[in-house]
Amino acid sequence: MKYMVMMNTMKAGQGVPAWPKKDLQAHIAFMMGLNKELHERGELVSAEGLSFPNQAKLVRAGKDGRPITDGVFPESKEFLAGFWIIDVDGPERAYAIAARISAAPGAGGTPLNMPIELRPIMSGPPQEMV
Amino acid sequence: MKYILLMSGTRAGVQGYHAWSKQDIEAHMAVLHGINEDLTASREFVATQGLADPHEAKVVRGEKNGVPVTDGIFPESKEFLLGYWIVDVASAERAYAIAGQISAAPGPGGKPTNMPIEVRQFASHESKSH
Repeated sequence: MKYMVMMNTMKAGQGVPAWPKKDLQAHIAFMMGLNKELHERGELVSAEGLSFPNQAKLVRAGKDGRPITDGVFPESKEFLAGFWIIDVDGPERAYAIAARISAAPGAGGTPLNMPIELRPIMSGPPQEMV
Repeated sequence: MKYILLMSGTRAGVQGYHAWSKQDIEAHMAVLHGINEDLTASREFVATQGLADPHEAKVVRGEKNGVPVTDGIFPESKEFLLGYWIVDVASAERAYAIAGQISAAPGPGGKPTNMPIEVRQFASHESKSH
């Protein structure tokens, strides 16, 4: 079963770069260790971090099909900070991995306890729609 | 340069999609399928996935002992990721153009949905995929 594991942040979450270097390094080391472990277990499909929300754009098609870009988002918007695609035996294993990510160390080494959104991936569009 | 194009919607929006006629859904899927084929032909395609219905989404936090705490309750206003495309393109403008095409995919009665597509660049140009 494939899942997308999403780490979301509010725009205010840009406070991360203000952490002391030591705390940032511990956080990154934790994430790299987790990715290595998931890879060794054959559960990691991909893991990516996204650039900061100030580079995000919202695109709509104009009448002539041309893209109209906008970089203005409501204050309440959650931004995807990074994601993992995992392939695991069942939902409980997916929850365990999400909890590990949630408990990644933050400033001063305290677990962040971030909420991690977990979404099953569809194997494909329903057959009658293809 | 790698970008992820995020298609999001509220739970109410997803319920509206379920009410589309079969013909409208087929026309919508055919356009998205054609975009995927074009991106494959231009070697810009990396991956695309649709996510399962928002009612299957869970939010997970790690407790102090690392045990996952799951919750399926989200605010009504929450936007859920419906699906995404990962593209590897020469410029941001090209990523916006692709997002514009996706935004222009037909909805009910063949009218473009004009849904907003969030365009986010990967933090690193090197893929960490395995």
